[in-house]
Amino acid sequence: MNMSEVLDQFVAESREGLELIGQRLLDVERDPTDTELINDLFRQVHTLKGNSGLFEFEPLERLAHAGEDVLERMRSGLLTITPAIADALLAAMDYAGELLDHIGAHGRLPDVVDGRVQQLADALRAEAGAAAPAAARPAAVATAAATPAAAEAHAPVPDWALALPAELARPGRVALRYEPEPECFFKGDDPLHTVRQTPGLLHLEVHPLAPWPPAAEFDCYRCNLVLLLVSEAPRAYLEEHYRYVPEQVAWHEFQATPAATSAPMPVAGPVPQDEEAKDEAQALMLRRLGQLWNDQRALLQRSGVAAGTVAAVRQTFMNLLQALPGQQAAQQQLAALPAQADALQAWAQQHQPAGTVFRAAEPALTAAGLPLAAVPGRRAGAPTAAEEAGAGTPRLLKVSQDKIDRLMDLIGEMVVAKNALPYLATRAETVFQQRELAREIKTQYSVINRIAEDMQHAIMQVRLLPVGTIFQRFVRLVRDISKRLGKEVELVIEGGDTEADKNVIECLADPLIHIVRNSLDHGLEKPEARVAAGKPACGLLRVSARQDGDRVLIEITDDGAGIDTDKVRAKAAERGLIPADRADALSEQDAVQLVFLPGFSTAQQISDLSGRGVGMDVVRSAVEAIHGSVSLSSVRGQGTTVRLALPLSMAVTNVMMIESAGRRFGVPMNLIVETVRVHADDIHRFKDAQTVVLRGRIVPLRNLNDMLALDEAPRLNADQEHAVLVLRIGSDTIGLLVDEFHGTSDIILKPLEGVLAGITGFAGTALMGDGSVLMILNPKELL
Amino acid sequence: MKAHILVIDDAATVRLYHRKMLTDAGWQVDEAVNGMEALEKAANQALDTPYDLYVCDINMPRMDGYSFVRELRRQGELAQAPVLMVSTEAQAHDASAAQEAGANAYLLKPAKPCELVLTAALLLGDVAAARRAAAAHLALGVPA
Repeated sequence: MNMSEVLDQFVAESREGLELIGQRLLDVERDPTDTELINDLFRQVHTLKGNSGLFEFEPLERLAHAGEDVLERMRSGLLTITPAIADALLAAMDYAGELLDHIGAHGRLPDVVDGRVQQLADALRAEAGAAAPAAARPAAVATAAATPAAAEAHAPVPDWALALPAELARPGRVALRYEPEPECFFKGDDPLHTVRQTPGLLHLEVHPLAPWPPAAEFDCYRCNLVLLLVSEAPRAYLEEHYRYVPEQVAWHEFQATPAATSAPMPVAGPVPQDEEAKDEAQALMLRRLGQLWNDQRALLQRSGVAAGTVAAVRQTFMNLLQALPGQQAAQQQLAALPAQADALQAWAQQHQPAGTVFRAAEPALTAAGLPLAAVPGRRAGAPTAAEEAGAGTPRLLKVSQDKIDRLMDLIGEMVVAKNALPYLATRAETVFQQRELAREIKTQYSVINRIAEDMQHAIMQVRLLPVGTIFQRFVRLVRDISKRLGKEVELVIEGGDTEADKNVIECLADPLIHIVRNSLDHGLEKPEARVAAGKPACGLLRVSARQDGDRVLIEITDDGAGIDTDKVRAKAAERGLIPADRADALSEQDAVQLVFLPGFSTAQQISDLSGRGVGMDVVRSAVEAIHGSVSLSSVRGQGTTVRLALPLSMAVTNVMMIESAGRRFGVPMNLIVETVRVHADDIHRFKDAQTVVLRGRIVPLRNLNDMLALDEAPRLNADQEHAVLVLRIGSDTIGLLVDEFHGTSDIILKPLEGVLAGITGFAGTALMGDGSVLMILNPKELL
Repeated sequence: MKAHILVIDDAATVRLYHRKMLTDAGWQVDEAVNGMEALEKAANQALDTPYDLYVCDINMPRMDGYSFVRELRRQGELAQAPVLMVSTEAQAHDASAAQEAGANAYLLKPAKPCELVLTAALLLGDVAAARRAAAAHLALGVPA
């Protein structure tokens, strides 16, 4: 027999059931007092619910559950059927029929069902006059597997408990880590409700268990949370409260002398894989055995246990003993015992399996005490025939990053390769005198060019990720650090859905964390200092992202103390980063920029957050490595803003080609403000410095030939004009004297490697369409 | 000698599902659609090979699971076999009522195959099957 038979059976039985439900409903409408009819109706719906649960057809289960609730109230006389209720129930069952047809045809549910299920279920509950709390179903019944409390009393503090705010760690309090199983929502658990109802709750935190996946892959029916809490209730109360999920809860009782750091756990020697698995299976088996053992003892405790039941308990103990090694003596004793509750109870106590405890107040039988399998049982093996037959086309593909990267490289090469065509066209005309052919090549080029650009754009889209993926890390970071520093901070995240290339996102994580740490460490003040300054005690840290053309702008703003420019000047001078007199001459805004200098740190005491010599300079170089820029503005007493401007993508760079001293170079377009021609007479010379006034601003001029140590004067054109490339580097504008401008080109920038790696002033090289190599300048290094 | 199990449930799908799980584990399975039929089958079987385990639903027509266990326990010889209740009833009072009636163990429906087989194996004293089920459970799922 295979699972598809069971599925066929399910479909057949459910169809029958739905038909019967329809008939019974009409009968009940005619005779609302016939309890037998109502019972039958209830049972049909109940069966549908149970069967759907078997296959994890959750929407069907929800529909049936809503029907069952209403019918349950009818059954107990709290509710009389009305035409509206009947209609709502029929509508729900009709839709269940539709879903069933789909299951019959494809072996699975249709892809999109949820909205309607909720609607129908709500309508049904509303008609029945019940408020429809869809979320909270009563938790499944179980009793806690006894946890050996004593063994844990002097355990080292687990990591998760260390992460809790230190002031909570008082003796007598209990910390709990509750990790609901992923499938818990299907079992009627409501983890948040459970923890909120915890007796003696002092503190609660909720964290994602794994990083939140992108929205497209997010499965909202899987629980991805870890709940940490601290309570002052006695442990017994807490165990009682969490008795349904004992295997999902870890405990730590704070001791009078807090263990400073947990001693490293002795690690056992490497165990072969299968041995380990065997041990684990054995442990799992013994855990369940312990539960069943306690179930039998609880059964014996009940008053007026039937003699037959006692006999069955004795038999059950006998069977359970089979799984416990070396229990012949116990078996012989048991076989000799009369079937009496007291005698059995005493025996069971004496032979209680190791590692389990029986508490006298066991309320009821233990329901499934095993953590659920992550993989639903039905999908454990090979897919069933029904599944294979009904395998539809998935709407989402998961593609490994390597493949995308490979595509990206290929498209990059394509972009460069297409650039060879214009050269070819030129040669066709000048060398081979084929003007007609040259024209055709040019036409063809424009087509290929368009396609290549579209391809490039399409692949870029695939690689885009929301920046929110890194912003999410800040929540925990801010919480932990602010607690440690004794500051109150509210974190506001905006524009987390702004997208950027995955490489950019990956390179951005560390710099951003650094900036946020800086804000917390140096920017935001302690509550008392804030109140004294007339600000709210709770500081505000705002992280926002938005797209601006082909760049992503990220701002980190705090409303803290701002940057103390006096301190900054003094520190910079003291460290010899800048002469003291120059430091004092700097404007406020310029003094702020000193923090970008390598080896700068204003921390009064070196905390573990911002070590010496690692600071904004590291952030700046990391951001510039991905062709981004960072700027900083600060108003003393009001706060600081750090702005990052980042490229959407960094695969293909657009450069402007320039000529100087007979050689060609590329300059990244993102640095270029404009290209101008300046008459030789308009250049002001003062000592060695040259300047020119452009649009009312004085722009310093530098000669590219000088910087590259090319021994030639800059060329003038026929009109006695110099070609000047105006660049923005950081917050400075500067003019670069070159000989001539040429066009722009898309290139793939290859960094300098091997013996060339040590050369400064160049960002890298690019292969041009005609096979030549273009050196790409890095003006920032040159200057 | 294969262990002999009676599966009692009014839903054909559940019976088939449980039958599959339990026969795959190496046991012999009979079915009954309600408590009444289950009692009859148990009585018939008593003279031949009595059932070693009852896997029983709660909510059934004619005779529900609670009544079945109560009735079963009134009969000397048949009463020896453990009863495993499997039901969707998720309220505390249901498990309690099941225990009150004399059920030896309780599982929430839908029971995962490994849970069902592991529990049944322990109640039957079939250690090899219990080990297999525990190992299978770990292979499938998330070790705690």
